[in-house]
Amino acid sequence: MKKLNRRNFMKLAAGGGGALAAGLGFSQGALAGSIKLQAGGRDFSPTTNKELQAIPTACWQCVTRDAMIGYVEDGRVVKLEGHPDSIRTLGKLCAKGQAGVNHVYFPDRILYPMLRVGKRGEHKWKRISWDEALDLMASKLKPLLDAGTPELFMYQYGRHKGSQSSIMHDFMNAFGSQTIGTHTSVCEGPKWVGQESLWGGMYDNWDYDHTDFVVNFGSNQFETHTNHIPTSQRLIRAMVDRNVPLYTFDVRLSNTAAKSTEWIPINVGKDGLVMLAMVNVIMNEKLFRRDHLKYMRVSPDYHASDDEKIAAIKKHVEKFTPEFAEKESGVPADKIRQIARGYAKAKSACLIGYRGTVMHYHGADQERAAMLLSAITNNLDRKGGRVMGVGAGWKAPHSPKAKLQKSLDIVNGFPGEAAFPTHQCSQQNLPMIKDGQNGRPKVYWSSCNNQAFINGNNNEAEAILKDEGLIPFYVNTNIVYDETSQYADLILPDVTYLERWDTEDMVSPTGVAEYYIRQPLIKPLGEARDQGEVFAGLAKRLGIELAYSSKEDYVRQSCEMTPGVKEAGGFEYMKKHGVWHDKNAKPNFGFYEAKVDVSGDGVILDEKTGVYWNYKQAGVSESEARSKGYLGVDGAKDAYVAQDIAGTPRKAYPPNTSFVKSGLLDFYSDNFAAKGFPPFPTYTPIPEHQKMAKDDLHLTTYKVAVHTHSRTSHCKWLSEIKHDNPAWINSKTAAARGIKDGDRIKVANELGEITTTAHVTEGIIPGIIAISHHLGRQHSGIYGSGKSSPTPGGAAADPDAKNMWWDKHGIHPNTIIPNSSDPISGGQRWMDTVVKVAKV
Amino acid sequence: MGNDWIELAENARSRSDVYGLLSAVFRHEPSEILIRKMRSVSVLGTFTGLGVDLGDRFYNDLVSEVVEELAIEYTRLFIGPGPHVSPHESIFDQAEDGMGGLWGAKTVEVKKFIQATGLEYGNDFNGLPDHISVELEFMQKLTGWEADKWLQKDRESAEYCLLVQHKFLQQHLLSWVDQFCDAVIDQAETPFYGVMAELTKQFMEYERQAIVTDTAA
Repeated sequence: MKKLNRRNFMKLAAGGGGALAAGLGFSQGALAGSIKLQAGGRDFSPTTNKELQAIPTACWQCVTRDAMIGYVEDGRVVKLEGHPDSIRTLGKLCAKGQAGVNHVYFPDRILYPMLRVGKRGEHKWKRISWDEALDLMASKLKPLLDAGTPELFMYQYGRHKGSQSSIMHDFMNAFGSQTIGTHTSVCEGPKWVGQESLWGGMYDNWDYDHTDFVVNFGSNQFETHTNHIPTSQRLIRAMVDRNVPLYTFDVRLSNTAAKSTEWIPINVGKDGLVMLAMVNVIMNEKLFRRDHLKYMRVSPDYHASDDEKIAAIKKHVEKFTPEFAEKESGVPADKIRQIARGYAKAKSACLIGYRGTVMHYHGADQERAAMLLSAITNNLDRKGGRVMGVGAGWKAPHSPKAKLQKSLDIVNGFPGEAAFPTHQCSQQNLPMIKDGQNGRPKVYWSSCNNQAFINGNNNEAEAILKDEGLIPFYVNTNIVYDETSQYADLILPDVTYLERWDTEDMVSPTGVAEYYIRQPLIKPLGEARDQGEVFAGLAKRLGIELAYSSKEDYVRQSCEMTPGVKEAGGFEYMKKHGVWHDKNAKPNFGFYEAKVDVSGDGVILDEKTGVYWNYKQAGVSESEARSKGYLGVDGAKDAYVAQDIAGTPRKAYPPNTSFVKSGLLDFYSDNFAAKGFPPFPTYTPIPEHQKMAKDDLHLTTYKVAVHTHSRTSHCKWLSEIKHDNPAWINSKTAAARGIKDGDRIKVANELGEITTTAHVTEGIIPGIIAISHHLGRQHSGIYGSGKSSPTPGGAAADPDAKNMWWDKHGIHPNTIIPNSSDPISGGQRWMDTVVKVAKV
Repeated sequence: MGNDWIELAENARSRSDVYGLLSAVFRHEPSEILIRKMRSVSVLGTFTGLGVDLGDRFYNDLVSEVVEELAIEYTRLFIGPGPHVSPHESIFDQAEDGMGGLWGAKTVEVKKFIQATGLEYGNDFNGLPDHISVELEFMQKLTGWEADKWLQKDRESAEYCLLVQHKFLQQHLLSWVDQFCDAVIDQAETPFYGVMAELTKQFMEYERQAIVTDTAA
């Protein structure tokens, strides 16, 4: 090209002017208003007086969702810290939370709607407008409505909580599809199911503020817990201020185990057995407390006396002696006795359990054993014990529901796979779509859910997503190009959680509900758009009426209609303060003891179960109610009023889940018995582990403190701290294979093999290998995968990338973990995989 | 600076038009109207005179095909996913304090600078404040305003506007536009954006010589 001089400059200008005069076909410029320069007038130079705002909002890195304060300087989020007025967090925020800033400004963020223009997985895209994107989606969804097949629209979500979840369900209700996939079964489903079968629809928390003794099975409480910051700091405080002991059973010396009073190494899948051995000790040494027995059902008899119950429990756990448990679990019998005695004798005690305990074959039953151990020591929902979680009860606007509500039966696993998939069997959603026996969605929309990474057998998931014959139209809402969005037909740019509105409700460790909101710290970058706004845009095109005009409006209405929040000042109060709780509220310990008035019209006592229920509410006549009984009438559990406890009607544990039960804790479960599962908590060996060859190893996975499963590897502050995940292997196990620390090793099974580095350590039991599950990303931007996805290249979009000193990005174990479900709950069996390990 | 008000105004207007054209090129994927206009005899003549070659396909393919191809190229080059040339000043800021990257310190400076002149970012604009097209549009507006002042024989305002332009060019646009254009030239797969980047570079050099030198004198 020739150098520009005045003559050809003028020609160029003429051409440019002509083009501009022709309108160029674009709407308008970026800048509005008019220039108001005044000679000698205002100083236009950038000033150093920066505007600083502190805005209360809420984290969303993990499910804990801490209330926090965001600091915004000149329109840029510069810092996040804990909200000092939060009764949950007490002003603390973890490393992940503080790195939330990285989500907004990471260089590979998706900021515009993108339409696929090549083949799936070819990584060829074209930016389109939101109008084009929504029109396209509407053109796929409208025919489903017209054909009376709304269920062929499937929504698949991962982390949706608070209003992010309720607004989605509201939209799906308005559309008429209940084909909604979740992710809980790969997270903690068996824990929910085990507890729902006993005390109802909520999971446990722990009153560390008042406890005297803590036993932890398989929970990395201090690094990555589901209610991490609120509970961890309280447990540490209990240990430091009150010398509360913490005993941690784990296959691995996690940082939690390291900070415990004692780490008790335990073989894989034996947590429930050791718990039952503790029950055995406590019952035989008469260390149990009778208080909770009257709320427990431990045999088919609903009216057994306390002594009969004691005898029944003893009988159930008779064979689970500490010596038997030692043989199976590797935990010395004396250690089991010591901890059982300490636990039972403590004034109050907490029993923690998490993925290490429940993500196994019969994991839900192991959770039931944990509840049993809590109940016989009267540490269930008592001060200082394992308590039922209490969260905020937000009200929300509801849109008119579509008359036609349908669903595809593809979210609960294959027929017969799981007996009680109350939290679905989401690891099988894609395989179910591939199978096709229960139908396939025509429109598949996922949000905050990286199916090709977070489930097992990732290669199969990718192949299914890639196949247009199986999934004709796939929409992915995301902030980053990842293993799943690469196969989408349309990618919608999501807002980060620092750019959106929400009501939030995570459980409070104090037993008093905390109401808090998330509000945008800044205007969304680019054309990123909240799902709530997307629903509104789609509804308009589909002729669906919604009860809100925007996500902000949805949150506003929620604040104005929620008792307590409303009186405190509603939306304006929440915007200003971020958090609210009832200062007169007290923890709800012992709620089950509340006396209940059973004099209401239609309330009768069911003699068999001791349940007071309202037959009128159940929609049957009195004679039918009496002849069929509480258990014989469909829907009677929804008309539950109270449980007869030693002659007094008490609230007990209402059957508020899909389990049909009385108000007693169903440690003897007809539900389980009817499906062929042990009705009382027991020990069931894991089938795969019974067939292991001599050189086979267990593969287990775990989390670290600075990453979530799949949503943080693009955060540079976090990946700088943790970007590699060598496999932990015991020195004896390694030596037997000629493996030394730092050697490259191959981990293989029938699904394939992965290659990683050996971290040889005494901090793990022999016979297993442990690999964390956050890393080894195909795509996750420059900081997550080492390349600006999807193809190798530079990191031109962020000058800070030149400071990236690490070149390792880890390995993902899920590629060789099969999608395999706990037959009770449908939970993904992360910890049951068997592999062979060899030096490369 | 002379007293030929018309010539002074025309010069400013011409600069405004070039800024406007370049702003349009980098703001959005090209429209059919733009492609048709750039294929017209007058522009073709200008380009030929400058030695600009947009390639045979640009002139021979169906306009709709050119638009589609350039839309994909635009996305790949400036949006991603994948390695792309993020068209924002703060990305090219070599700040050592970690304040580079998207919505960095430079973004805020540009936003404040522009707003200090009375302009605001339109409600429909969803990009970042320091997008290359915004900085070019800002210069388009400044030079257009300058042209008006020359026509009004308001020398004081026009020369003050030149000072403003000088500061903006020195503090912002000229500080990164070369690097940006070089990156585009390096990564472009079709001639269009490589040529447009080269043209932008040439024009900015022309500005550096003509305006910065002029106002400095």
